[in-house]
Amino acid sequence: MDQQSLVSLILILLTFALYIGISVYNRAKVTSDFYVASRGIPPFWNGMAIGGDWMSAASFIGMAGTVMILGYDGLAYIMGWTGGYLLLTFLLAPQLRKYGRFTVPEFIGDRFDSNPARLIAAIATIIISFTYIIGQLSGSGVVIGRLLNLPASTGVMIGVVVIAIYASLGGMKGVTWTQVAQYMILITAYIVPIVFLSLQISGNPLPWLTYGNVVNELGALDRELGISEYFAPFEEGNRAQFLALLFTLMVGTAALPHVIVRFYTVTTMKAARWSGAWALLFIALLYLSAPAYAAFSRFVIMTQVVGSPIDDLPAWTEPWLNTGLLEIADSDGDGVLAWEDLVIHQDIVVMATPEIANLGMFVVGLIAAGAMAAALSTAGGLLITISSSFAHDIYYRLMKPEATDSNRLLAGRIAIVLSTIAAGLVALDPPGVITQIIAWAFALAGGTFFPVLFLGVWWKRMNRQGAIAGMLGGLSVTLGYIFLSMGGVTFFGIQDTGAGVFGVTANLLLVIIVSLMTPPPEQRLQDEAVDLRYPEQMTYKDGEVWMNDEQAK
Amino acid sequence: MQKVEKKVADQYFKIRTTLVVVFLIIGFSVSFGVAFFAEAINESGAMIMGMPAHYYMGAQGAVVTFVILLFLNAIISDQVDKKFGIDEKQNVKISGGGADH
Repeated sequence: MDQQSLVSLILILLTFALYIGISVYNRAKVTSDFYVASRGIPPFWNGMAIGGDWMSAASFIGMAGTVMILGYDGLAYIMGWTGGYLLLTFLLAPQLRKYGRFTVPEFIGDRFDSNPARLIAAIATIIISFTYIIGQLSGSGVVIGRLLNLPASTGVMIGVVVIAIYASLGGMKGVTWTQVAQYMILITAYIVPIVFLSLQISGNPLPWLTYGNVVNELGALDRELGISEYFAPFEEGNRAQFLALLFTLMVGTAALPHVIVRFYTVTTMKAARWSGAWALLFIALLYLSAPAYAAFSRFVIMTQVVGSPIDDLPAWTEPWLNTGLLEIADSDGDGVLAWEDLVIHQDIVVMATPEIANLGMFVVGLIAAGAMAAALSTAGGLLITISSSFAHDIYYRLMKPEATDSNRLLAGRIAIVLSTIAAGLVALDPPGVITQIIAWAFALAGGTFFPVLFLGVWWKRMNRQGAIAGMLGGLSVTLGYIFLSMGGVTFFGIQDTGAGVFGVTANLLLVIIVSLMTPPPEQRLQDEAVDLRYPEQMTYKDGEVWMNDEQAK
Repeated sequence: MQKVEKKVADQYFKIRTTLVVVFLIIGFSVSFGVAFFAEAINESGAMIMGMPAHYYMGAQGAVVTFVILLFLNAIISDQVDKKFGIDEKQNVKISGGGADH
């Protein structure tokens, strides 16, 4: 093991020790600790935990590269993955918090008083979260393996063992505080390298203010080469695909169960609103930095690598050529590297930056620890969600309503360990289609859940028939369109990644039409929906609103 | 327990809903709206912070607007709650720690 691997390994082991330490200190003692951290997390810290929960290994490693390769079209990911928090915080989170359950399937099951709806929601939650977690584990395995010169499978196994320990011990309470620590590590690891890169290129330490000129210069360089400008819109698709992808990502973000459940961990509706605001601020720090990363990297490659003789490239390119993330082919045979000769993999942008900028071993190790933090924090949130669907929604609410609290806690722990092992086994040798399934997770989540949650909160007339028809219909239309577009049949040029547009529309229409064609729900259920309009202190009962003004203790 | 006038309760809901609608319209305009006209903006040559305006809005402008909207929503909603005499301490007490399910 060389010196670099040793430094990276030590940094990663230190962070692992920190995560396990945190969960030992925050052990879950009752089910309310285990699923919703006893609803006592302050909004500022919950915002930070949402940031860690939300930003995955793919965001950390791949997003800057995606923006670099796709140019303007990659910005759909930046706007979509942040804009989802508008929908979530304005339309769903505070109301779902007031309803006061443990999980998303539980809201759907109780709001419509329907166990079939609960079961469908639980199964959809498990499928969406499970594909997502395989992506985290296999992605982190590859990254750790490469940075530490280990086989990817060893990387996966290390991740699986660590996460099984701390998630089953701490439950949501432990996961919350590890996510806070993981957010701090990943954001530091992301921002330190581009601050130095910005200093080197423009002499100003604030990359967010300086990369605009670089973007403009990139456009000029592209014009000289005779290729389309970096910032030219819709080069990789058409406008309809861009807007459909943007819509799918926004709606999908707002409907991902492992994100929604984080809003259950605060005390009130007010705290849920503030959680959303803090969360987007912390998330924006990374998402605003990704386009800067992309612009600087492309600029360095175009000005320092392109144009050099092929047998005398800068030293940092060599290891990446060996791993295949950077490929060159001297197509015109003149011995000089041209931009068209380069094939760049998206993951290289974040990982190679420290070497491009000569930032040394510590920063490379920091990136490794940051990538691992990003993968583990998301995986932790997903594991809680998967285990709660099994242990709470299916085992407790459907099969054994008489189970004691300690039995339910044990069931939750077993479910976490089993799902970690299952996900780890699949991630050791992931089927090739897995990256595609993850790209579809947003369309599936949005198409299955968003309209049902949205109308469930805002429309009292919605009933159980509408909910079931909406979920099943939305899911089928989304899947159907994905397969159609894979087979080459598309509408308006919208590809599989934009399938959410059709799934969400079908779901919304089905909920409305089927609800109106069937009898209205019981008065009690309608009242519960109206009650969500007001803060906790106001209660809606029998057509009247009551204010609870007994002296607060 | 004290009864709240229907008019007052409806007004509370109306104010909160109006806020949400206004914020969402602004949020959609800076993202979907700008993307819809991206080609025209690119050709017009408009610049913000040294880069073409449509690229700036996608890379920074929209995200910064979203963050501002969420903080405005949190602050203004707190003031609305205060105006209607809502006591957050009371909210915490009522919503309690963990309902069983």
